[in-house]
Amino acid sequence: MSRRSARFLIAFALLAFSLSPACKLRAEEPAIVDFENDLQPIFTRFGCNSGPCHGKARGQGGFQLSLLGFDGQQDYDAIAKEGRGRRVFPGAPENSLLIAKPAGKTPHGGGKRLDVDSPEYQTLLNWVRQGMPRKAPSAATLQSITVSPPSLILAASQTQALTVTAKYSDGAERDVTRLTAFQSNEAPIAAVNENGLVTAGQITGDAAIMARFMGQIAVCDVMIPRPEVIPAEVYAQLPRNNFIDELVWQKLQRLNITPSPVCDDHTFLRRATTDISGRIPTLEEVNAFLADTSADKRSKLIDRLLEEPEFADHWANKWADLLRPNPYHVGIKATFNYDHWIRQSFHDRKPWDQFVRELLTARGGTFRDGSVVMFRDRRQPEELTTLVSQLFIGVRLDCAKCHHHPFEVWGQDDFYSFAAYFSKIGRKGTGISAPISGSEEFVFTGTSGSVTHPVTGATMTPRPLFGEAPPVVEGQDQRESLAAWITSPNNHLFAQVMSNRVWADLLARGFVEPVDDLRATNPPTNGPLLKALGEHFRDSGFSITELIRVVANSHVYQLSSLPNETNAADTRNYSRHYRHRLRAEVLLDAVSLVTGVPQEFDAMPPDSSAKQLWTHRSDSLFLDTFGRPDPNQDPPCERMSDSTVVQSLHLMNSEKLYRDIGSDNGTAKSLADSEKSAEEISAELYARVFGRKPTVEETALVTELLAAEGAVRRQVIEDLMWAMVNSAEFVFQD
Amino acid sequence: MSNRKRCDGFTRRDTLQLGLGGFLGAGFVESLKARAESQHGGSVPAGKAKSCILIWMDGGPTHFETFDPKPDAPMEFRGEFSSIETSVPGVGYSEHMVKLAASLNDYAMIRSIRHDQGNHGAGNHYMMTGSPPRIPVGCGAFVSFHPSMGSVVARELGRDNGLPSYFSMPQMSRSGGPNFLGAKYAPFVVGDDPNNAQFKVRDVALPRDLTDMRFGSRTDLRSKIDRMVRISDEAAGDPVLAFDEYFQQGHTLVTSPEAQKAFDISLESPETRERYGRDSFGQRCLLSRRLVEAGVPFITVYDGGWDHHSDIFGSLRKRLPAWDNSVATLIQDLKERGLLDSTLVVALGEFGRTPKISTLAGSTTGGRDHWANAMSVLMAGGGTPGGTVVGATDRKGFSAVDRVLSPENFVSTVYHKLGIDPNKILYSPQGRPSHLVSDPTPITELI
Repeated sequence: MSRRSARFLIAFALLAFSLSPACKLRAEEPAIVDFENDLQPIFTRFGCNSGPCHGKARGQGGFQLSLLGFDGQQDYDAIAKEGRGRRVFPGAPENSLLIAKPAGKTPHGGGKRLDVDSPEYQTLLNWVRQGMPRKAPSAATLQSITVSPPSLILAASQTQALTVTAKYSDGAERDVTRLTAFQSNEAPIAAVNENGLVTAGQITGDAAIMARFMGQIAVCDVMIPRPEVIPAEVYAQLPRNNFIDELVWQKLQRLNITPSPVCDDHTFLRRATTDISGRIPTLEEVNAFLADTSADKRSKLIDRLLEEPEFADHWANKWADLLRPNPYHVGIKATFNYDHWIRQSFHDRKPWDQFVRELLTARGGTFRDGSVVMFRDRRQPEELTTLVSQLFIGVRLDCAKCHHHPFEVWGQDDFYSFAAYFSKIGRKGTGISAPISGSEEFVFTGTSGSVTHPVTGATMTPRPLFGEAPPVVEGQDQRESLAAWITSPNNHLFAQVMSNRVWADLLARGFVEPVDDLRATNPPTNGPLLKALGEHFRDSGFSITELIRVVANSHVYQLSSLPNETNAADTRNYSRHYRHRLRAEVLLDAVSLVTGVPQEFDAMPPDSSAKQLWTHRSDSLFLDTFGRPDPNQDPPCERMSDSTVVQSLHLMNSEKLYRDIGSDNGTAKSLADSEKSAEEISAELYARVFGRKPTVEETALVTELLAAEGAVRRQVIEDLMWAMVNSAEFVFQD
Repeated sequence: MSNRKRCDGFTRRDTLQLGLGGFLGAGFVESLKARAESQHGGSVPAGKAKSCILIWMDGGPTHFETFDPKPDAPMEFRGEFSSIETSVPGVGYSEHMVKLAASLNDYAMIRSIRHDQGNHGAGNHYMMTGSPPRIPVGCGAFVSFHPSMGSVVARELGRDNGLPSYFSMPQMSRSGGPNFLGAKYAPFVVGDDPNNAQFKVRDVALPRDLTDMRFGSRTDLRSKIDRMVRISDEAAGDPVLAFDEYFQQGHTLVTSPEAQKAFDISLESPETRERYGRDSFGQRCLLSRRLVEAGVPFITVYDGGWDHHSDIFGSLRKRLPAWDNSVATLIQDLKERGLLDSTLVVALGEFGRTPKISTLAGSTTGGRDHWANAMSVLMAGGGTPGGTVVGATDRKGFSAVDRVLSPENFVSTVYHKLGIDPNKILYSPQGRPSHLVSDPTPITELI
């Protein structure tokens, strides 16, 4: 029997005096208080065992509780046995520190938490009076909780109280609303207070309210639609390029918002080219695309971009970000080989399941087989566990390493059983050593090694987080079994986390955010669509290009960013396109294309693009400024695409950019030297920098500047180029 | 990706609510003051210091030849330098620390910090972040598992007024990065040498050949050309609005003569420049003071080359007099200008050095190797009581023995002085809460 279930197999107080208004009371004699069922919820509800207080690893003021009460025995001992007996005084229960401190009768760093009139105070008192029973005589186990109502549709500012009911193994139910912790994932849309009262905000949208009671979680979905109902035919008439559109329109209909119109051709060209291939369109592409009159030109563009080598470099660059090892840790040659393996996989359009299987089961030497470098970089089963589960199935196990995740179902058993898959990795050669770990290391199927549970000391047997994995065959690499489970067509999380990521890359926002944090308490904004997209991805044989193709071909992807009268506040339901700043590498390559002066990078051949850099150790002030992460950072982190003042200053004043714009080998000089008319120069600049044709007024401005008295043609063109590069239209994807 | 939940748990929308607006209009320095004060209104204990200058002695400076000589130890421990008196009776310094010895009453010396990370990569990380590296790292490693002091201070005291809030000169220190706080709090690296006649701080001033007039016509032009429609409804969260705000802030910085003066070291008198020492280090100290005056909350002066495995005496004989002068002058100058109370100055490296002088194979001169059991740290300003010497090492300098302190204590002291709660909770990329410093106890003698 596991420790966890043992913990819950504890007698349940049928009549928990203070907590169960639904139960009948024997007034004269309070029921025996049960530590797990009656006391622990109080410590959790009043924050006693929370991270900032006694729940942190070093406790507070010498008094330590398990985080959120996941370890009843530890907490019982801490209260009833430790602290030299000062925490509980059966002789004078009111003087117990356990009672006097939270009641504010004795100085308490955490301040007063309990009223002496409160039922919780009475429960604590009864428990001490009863001699601190570890368990009540006939206890039941908490089985589940439900929140009622499970979903809500509210008008702006409307409120609704939630009720939380706990169900026990003996069939008893009790209202535990008072002792439940509530949290909203989108407080501006629907906030919740500590008593479970939901208050709708002023923003149209939806939110999830999480209710947590003693390790059990229930979620209430709240939707705040716009008050004006939009006729169904409006939605019926919307275009449906593929299944994506239908599922987005369904959601919008429930919210009473309508999508923005479809975007212009030039906006689509720049959007698709930056998203799919990580570059801005060239002058020739702009002119050709805008001149093309065929009805399917957008689809053809998507197909063409997916064939390009730039596509592979762009997506490899994103994945290298997430998998990237510290070069000082693994050695520079291993870093190079790893990047090459990732990059080549994207050039080969390798199916995603194959990529992940090859990575997880990699064998070979770091000087020959780039795919093994993850196992050089991450040497402990625990480290591999958190990385692999987060990246490939969107499950964050970091917390479960030490304690039960407060908002999750995973515990230490799950964590270390998963880690056990990585327990028999053989390594030979020079490990991590000073100064730069320069030598080769081999990774192979080992025969020894185990993972033990840090608390029980038990040797763990490999077990997946849920479902069934192929059994580990004697002599076979345990990682094969894990890889088969992770990449199985039946593992919906594997398909969904990648679908969510790619969707976020193209639509600027995932159904789930953060993109690799899939859990019941962090629900997707469009669950049916995430599910359908995951299935489509799976059915395509985990083809990333097909995934991108279907998303980019949807009408939803092609919406304008400008809001209509219904959808300005929508930032999660894709009723319009959400703008974002171009990624550092994309922006720098765009700058090079515009100025006509290529970048020079260390450790790269001439004319390399920023996307092709295989290590962030190759210096670039520009890339650092625009959010390329520190090469030495661990763990790797999702990049932020925020603007900063340092970025504005760099575009404005960088010596390098100033010189490139004014370069004798650059675009501005060659335009100035050409015989081109003002009109032609205007057309070329706008196409190169903004990817569109200039308006009549814009051309008039260029003409006026070039014709002004004393105007120096080259200077005017340089100034125009500077002004355009410093404009939002260049820096952002619209 | 623009509205993704950030690693530290904030959304961009939060940041906008916290930071922007209200800056433009008032005078530059006035607005800096207003913001600095409002920053300290919350529950954080008010720190005296508003800025910190960190002199990072990369490589691990010897404690023997600087602030903790052992004149009574045998020759192979004591080394070639003698000991001199300081202004505090009974406290001696090594012979080249002349000016700092004379001015010990203006600052404090900690002699008893020790830790267990004896290689550069790990030691750098521990002292620069207050957190030991999570996994063993190699000696040459540049690692980051936790935000550096500079990045944390930039986030907590940064003023969103156009000025980068964390400078590092001439390079970033090994573990000086933001980690999960994000690139916004990465150091603004100024690589150029302020001792050079052509020096200017990159990006905050116009490119060298660009005239003010042409810059003016460029920005006029930009206002006509940048016609992307802004989505004014705040609920729409248009990221272009923040971009505009930052452009405007940058523009104000570049065109404000007052702000530009802050970066122009050539405005210092020749006497002052001479006083700090006409070398790169001295001029970086001087520039740091100017940046402090402009309101920059954190400046790292990276000072490499303290890894004296060989020729320790020869090289320190050349180096220490100028170093001593520059650091003593910085403290003195801040004091004269009334800035020492609001400016924390800290000088240290990743560890101390071995008590016994060794000669490496292939070397003919003696040196000292890595030693994390003892190190000396200088701390001035921000209310640090002058003349305080905290802790002591044993007779031969092997180990801190009296008032033994940890890197956590040191980093907590820095945060405390800057009004940042070292017990504050940050959120890792996994959403896991972690304390800014695991042991948030500051060094009480210095508070």
